[in-house]
Amino acid sequence: MKLAKTLVPPLIPLAVLTLAFELIVRQGLIPAYLLPAPSSVFKAMFEVGDQLWRAMLETSGAALIGFFMSAIGGIASAVLLSSSRWIQRAFYPYAVFFQTVPIIAIAPLLVIWFGYGMRTVIASAFVVSIFPVIANTLTGLLSTDPALVDLFRLYGASSAVTLFKLRFPAALPQILTGLRVSAGLAVIGAIVGEFIGGGGLGSVVDVARTQQRVDIVFAAVLLASLLGLALFSAIGLVSRLTLRRWHASEQTP
Amino acid sequence: MQRRSFLRVAAAAALLPACRRSSKLKLALNWKPDPQFGGFYAAPYARHGLDVEILPGGAGTPTVQMIGAGSAEFGIVSADELVLARARGNRAVALFAVFQNCPQGIMVHASRRLTSIGDVVKEGTLAIQRGLPYARLLEKRYGFAHVRVVPSPGGDITAFLHDEKFAQQCFIMSEPLEARRKGVEVTVFPVSDLGYNPYTTVLATSEDYLRNHADTAKRMTDAVREGWRTYLDHPQPTNEKMHQLNPSMDLSTFAEVAEAQKPFIEAAQLGAMTEQRWQTLIQQLRDLGDLTGPIRASDCFRNLS
Amino acid sequence: MRLEGVRRVFDDRIVLSNFHLSISPGEFLAILGPSGCGKSTLLRMIARLAPPDAGSIAFTPSENFQTAFVFQDAHLLPWRTVLENAALPLELTGVAREQRRQKARKALEQVNLAEALALYPAQLSGGMRMRVSLARALVTGPRLLLLDEPFAALDELTRFHLDVQLRRLWQASGMTVIFVTHSISEAAFLAERAVVLARREGRIKLDRRLELPGERTNELRGDARFAEESKLLLDQMEEQ
Repeated sequence: MKLAKTLVPPLIPLAVLTLAFELIVRQGLIPAYLLPAPSSVFKAMFEVGDQLWRAMLETSGAALIGFFMSAIGGIASAVLLSSSRWIQRAFYPYAVFFQTVPIIAIAPLLVIWFGYGMRTVIASAFVVSIFPVIANTLTGLLSTDPALVDLFRLYGASSAVTLFKLRFPAALPQILTGLRVSAGLAVIGAIVGEFIGGGGLGSVVDVARTQQRVDIVFAAVLLASLLGLALFSAIGLVSRLTLRRWHASEQTP
Repeated sequence: MQRRSFLRVAAAAALLPACRRSSKLKLALNWKPDPQFGGFYAAPYARHGLDVEILPGGAGTPTVQMIGAGSAEFGIVSADELVLARARGNRAVALFAVFQNCPQGIMVHASRRLTSIGDVVKEGTLAIQRGLPYARLLEKRYGFAHVRVVPSPGGDITAFLHDEKFAQQCFIMSEPLEARRKGVEVTVFPVSDLGYNPYTTVLATSEDYLRNHADTAKRMTDAVREGWRTYLDHPQPTNEKMHQLNPSMDLSTFAEVAEAQKPFIEAAQLGAMTEQRWQTLIQQLRDLGDLTGPIRASDCFRNLS
Repeated sequence: MRLEGVRRVFDDRIVLSNFHLSISPGEFLAILGPSGCGKSTLLRMIARLAPPDAGSIAFTPSENFQTAFVFQDAHLLPWRTVLENAALPLELTGVAREQRRQKARKALEQVNLAEALALYPAQLSGGMRMRVSLARALVTGPRLLLLDEPFAALDELTRFHLDVQLRRLWQASGMTVIFVTHSISEAAFLAERAVVLARREGRIKLDRRLELPGERTNELRGDARFAEESKLLLDQMEEQ
């Protein structure tokens, strides 16, 4: 019953929208070559089902690997940055660089360094998704309750102990927020990487676009969104399980 | 009393920019300004009573959809793109074909000593836009089992230069010249070796626009024809103008490419098209399985004047 | 413990200047004063969490001993249970698991929280959380207990109960307690000795041994002697 409570509400506007678009295209209000009817998108999914499924697996794989690299690399970097003011001042601007560099511009460079194929796609997913992890983790680590830090000092705890037993668990809600954002970005990064480096759903979109098969384009885009949603929800689940008993964000209202 | 007159003034003010916008015609290019569009930049629009704004494009600019949706009155498309669009209900019509012969091809390192276009798929890497009809024709005829197919880097030859087994789709008078300049000898196989030769860099508009503004379309075609004559005879001034807009290509390259592309463009009447050529193209696309509905060759183009 | 010539400056404000104070072992000392008079700073320096800019803080005997601190808010680790929170100091000082759980259990019994061992801080009331904080402070059997306005955020009834409990715990253990507070009645109820600080530079305005009985119950609050001592303290506080 509780599952129905979470699933049904978002499905209603979706059903209404789908129906509306179907009617609009059927009546010819918007030409099919600009906006495909939802029914034709579904037909396309079956028509090239195998290809879409294989592409989805490729993109998922690259996005997941890129995401895990971001998670581990991002958290590790943030821990390092949090250890000293000097290190922070010296290196944080470079972390910001990951946020601001337009992936579309550096993707061709990634191809030159990593070659065509999976490695470039993973690199692209990584570059796009790492910054939110670093930023959120760092904020979390630096905003530890000073009274608790005092308490740990009072009992002679080393900085390492304070990091693992206090700062890190206290920063967990913030870290999970960063991971949530990063997951979605990893999918986007993978697809951009695929435009330039080949493979996966990005390649399906690119080829279908050249063939003017807008219905296939939409089908692939839909699958990409579902992939992003799946990752996002997975993090949400992890968040619920780990924060359930103690953090306000996961308490039942 | 006051509110009503305010509304009237506001409505008039709101319409003004729309009025100005509708008199300026938009021509959407499907790539950055380079010699393939020389004639469009050289054309004497004002003399034909036209105020034309040329919109440069880039990778993936959807010119044929822009014409269909009306966000540009004119656009540059390729003939096969236009046929496929018409099959999907986008009533675009060709007016002027710059390249009488398709200048697309596949370039390989000369050191590989390949002799025919079928050889490019025997080994190595092929960078090609897989969705293009000639790519699918290539795949259908020779198969991609032994070659690694990757997305086309769109004019960037860095990967090509560093890898001897790398083959890349190109514009015959463009990337090969750049490769030679960078010290790599190349062999180029024109796509027409496959028997596939659609008109390329075609000026098109929508059927609706043609019906409602036949006179403007004719004047546009005339201006473009004059522009191409001018550009073929004296490319230098127009090259300078285009170089300002696209500094990534230097002036000597502009001159070289403009010269190399002439044989593809020259014709008794610049830009003219025949029903025969369109019919052949339609048949080829049908054989590839891309066309689902009926298409009439004569619907695809108009020779105005 | 003896503080001599202690000085502490924040930015360009002199919080404490030439501060002297001697404290005997086993004493219950209350420190009163208006906001910003330096009492929290003083406490942190005694806890050796912040060094004085000048002067010295000496302890006899001088060997290392455990100090415990109770803050104004309970400051519990929200991801740990009540038992684990109370056991934290022992965990940090390297005591084995079974042992520290036992000691924590005992400390929590002392503050009447024996039933709440498996609960999380989010499930506790403010008063209960403060009691866990107290238990946590007591779990190492500290020689010196410092409290910085610990009950300020609680309702009056809970406050009264905790006051009584704290005094009882002090009497049972013999530790030295320094209790910083805003509340005159609380200082009068809890302490044997009260020190009132001036608004600036932590100057001591009053250092008095309170003339109140050793056994303190809430009934004392209605007593005439209580009112007298409170008035004395109030006068000093008001003259700021």
